[in-house]
Amino acid sequence: MSIEVRNLVKKFDDKVVINDISFKVSDGEVLAIVGFSGSGKSTVLKLISGLIPYDSGEILTSSGDIAMVFQYSALFDSLNVFDNISFALRERKDLRKKYSKNDLQKIVAQKLELVGLKGIENKFPSELSGGMQKRVSFARAIVTNPNTILYDEPTAGLDPMSSTLIEDYIVSLKHEINAASIVVTHQMSTILRTADRVIMLYDGKIVFEGTPTDLLKQDTPYTKQFVTASLEGPMKMKA
Amino acid sequence: MISLAQYIKKSATYKIFSNIFEECIKFLNTIGQIAQIGFHLIKCILRDGISFKELAYQCERFGISSLPITLSIVGMTSIIVSSQVANEMVKQGGADFIGLLMTILIVREVGAVMSGFAITSMIGSSLASELATMRVTEQVDAIDVLSVDSVGYLFIPRVLSGIIMMPLIVIVASAIGIVLGGITSNLFSGLTYRAYFTSVWLGLYMKDLFVSIIKSAVFGGAIALISCTCGYYASGGAKGVGIATTKAVVWSFIAIVVWDMVFAMLFFF
Repeated sequence: MSIEVRNLVKKFDDKVVINDISFKVSDGEVLAIVGFSGSGKSTVLKLISGLIPYDSGEILTSSGDIAMVFQYSALFDSLNVFDNISFALRERKDLRKKYSKNDLQKIVAQKLELVGLKGIENKFPSELSGGMQKRVSFARAIVTNPNTILYDEPTAGLDPMSSTLIEDYIVSLKHEINAASIVVTHQMSTILRTADRVIMLYDGKIVFEGTPTDLLKQDTPYTKQFVTASLEGPMKMKA
Repeated sequence: MISLAQYIKKSATYKIFSNIFEECIKFLNTIGQIAQIGFHLIKCILRDGISFKELAYQCERFGISSLPITLSIVGMTSIIVSSQVANEMVKQGGADFIGLLMTILIVREVGAVMSGFAITSMIGSSLASELATMRVTEQVDAIDVLSVDSVGYLFIPRVLSGIIMMPLIVIVASAIGIVLGGITSNLFSGLTYRAYFTSVWLGLYMKDLFVSIIKSAVFGGAIALISCTCGYYASGGAKGVGIATTKAVVWSFIAIVVWDMVFAMLFFF
């Protein structure tokens, strides 16, 4: 077990946004959380990463770091790529004295090579394309060799080729560091190319759980509506 | 048929009082946020220490970039006051006290307060918009997810730079203000430099200097803490950044006036 979520509930004021959901993700497994906008997908990631507190339930994780790749990369725009990637190693109290400048340079170079961006240490985020920023944010996320990686819409806003590249990195990272990964997305290509399992959220509840192949079978009204992107079905778009 | 409760809710008086109540809640909420961050900041300093590299960068930003505007504002205020006062004082036979009056005015009040206003508009707004942008673009969340305390990382160097740099800026601005007061008095009322600066020494008390330095440090810390807190709790995109910046400037101005009143009561009553 790497992540186990049990009976998780989150309310904003009186509105229940996550309503008693439970799931597990094992080491080396990629779970895709899908659903229409406003279904609570990103909230689940924020709860697991500890950015927001939950009201009830449990989140159990194996010891080790949790990393997160944000939807819009969230690179520190006042720092260059080297400082962005080495940020946790330089600023975390338990790590800051562990690495020399040479060590940091080697680690950053190695992580950049892993995401196919050699030699851009001195560039600033504003000098990079959206796809490159996303890959740098991957490198920053994996710098501490986490055992859980959370991806918030990793391919949103990218062109198809960049999306494919990012999807390949998610799969290769799964093999490289054997981390448990959760990918929040609503892009079919990302689900099919990266996920081992899929859960679908609607109104804060899990309405489908299965493999990507099961999703494509459209056996339930929810999966049928999602795959066909239909406005007709049990899931209503919020105004 | 409209019920009494609905009628009351629709009335202008109800709306006015409900708005006042809402503003009071927001006011208390902001004070709570600033206090909470302040305590957390002290905890972070004791627990994690200080990053001197980042502190040096913030000191440079706080001091160097705000110096021209601060000196201009304090200097011009001094010119305005001395041009108004010098003629009258000479007419009333009080020419010997112009330097003394200007010194007390600048060291006790104008230097610190006008510098505070200048630094709020220059640095406070910049700190608030910087942190607010970091918040709405999830950079603050990214710091937290990387297991680095975002309050410690963002606030310690900024608040400490305010505490360190503000007294230095105020000392320089006050000195320039006093000198410009002398030049203006000479030009407008023919007062000799010797008479002016002899009088300046009479009005320069150690206690005033000490209070001015302490007050400036408090102003600097308050401006940085308030501005960073307003930015840190921003939400809602570009509009949220604008709201946070405005709030930071207004709250910093209020804090300067309130602290100035506290210091006046503590040391000069």
